[in-house]
Amino acid sequence: MKTNIKILIVDDFSTMRRIIKNLLRDLGFNNTFEADDGNTALPMLKNGDYDFVVTDWNMPGMEGIDLLKEIRKDQALCHIPVLMVTAEAKREQIIEAAQSGVNGYIIKPFTAATLKEKLEKIFERIQ
Amino acid sequence: MTEQDTTLISLDKAKQLVEFLENDDVKSANNIITEIQNASSDALFDKVGALTRQLHNSLEDFKFDSRIESLATEEFPDARERLNYVIEMTDKAANRTMDAVEACLPIADSFNDRIQQVMPGWQSLMSRELGLGQFKDLCKLLDDFLQVSVKDADSLRQYLTEILMAQDFQDLTGQMIRRVINLVQEVEVKLVEMLTMFSETELASSAGAEPVIQEIVSGIESEGPIMNATERTDVVDGQDDVDDLLSSLGF
Repeated sequence: MKTNIKILIVDDFSTMRRIIKNLLRDLGFNNTFEADDGNTALPMLKNGDYDFVVTDWNMPGMEGIDLLKEIRKDQALCHIPVLMVTAEAKREQIIEAAQSGVNGYIIKPFTAATLKEKLEKIFERIQ
Repeated sequence: MTEQDTTLISLDKAKQLVEFLENDDVKSANNIITEIQNASSDALFDKVGALTRQLHNSLEDFKFDSRIESLATEEFPDARERLNYVIEMTDKAANRTMDAVEACLPIADSFNDRIQQVMPGWQSLMSRELGLGQFKDLCKLLDDFLQVSVKDADSLRQYLTEILMAQDFQDLTGQMIRRVINLVQEVEVKLVEMLTMFSETELASSAGAEPVIQEIVSGIESEGPIMNATERTDVVDGQDDVDDLLSSLGF
């Protein structure tokens, strides 16, 4: 795993952003940035040269699923892997996310081991 | 113009009334007074009638407003359940954190104890007052210390991660509480509507703030944490379920 990649963490709860940031740092990823919803995240992605996105689903403003769709629509961004970390647990939601091109789906509450496993799986597929 | 500004009797009628009274024509005078009384009580009856009709219509409206029924029978019990879930989650998080802290404290104590054991020999070594036998003892102590410290450092790291992860309750309970706030806001608006309906003139000007109801852009409405995942078929129960579903989709 390349650990110097630039990662954007999108969640409306700062506590959750901090948890994910800490877990990523534990795994060696130090180059992380934060946004509190899709509307904040999208311009950051467009101007920021990001390599990876971790996003929540349920957020005020632009939800995570819409952020995912926007990323996949944009030619400059569509290659960026997106990992969803959310409490949304309806089957139709997971199917919707999969069809919209999500690279991984983690359900809250989650463990540090799950995050590590899903990240490794995504990177394995990309390489 | 308010009611106080208009006279209940015209000047002509008043003059006529005075004339009848001056001429002792009691019957005609009384007729005029009755006429005036009838006019104002007609207006009163009209008003009472209108209010009664309005009250009746409002009550019928409430009877047929299915939103009120679903608020009472579904959403209030649901909100109660959500708040109970919040108590449960915060309780769990607090205990998870305290368990981890309680597990860390003996590690810190044992760390300190071992340092105290090594310290005298170490100080003798630094001041070149250590014999060969003592040096061997010191080496053994230090070796033990290092071995145990590697394990302890690993345990400490695990407990700290546990404490970190326990803080996820803030996000999950926050989502729950937000839903309850939205419900309370909706009830507030309904109550204000009811008040405005029954006292139009007083409240019409101060019809409170509209509720902020989130617009759903995507096709699927987000629901937040699920409290009774095992009892529902439309939701997954844990990460294994998610993984199964995704792999069935060719992931």
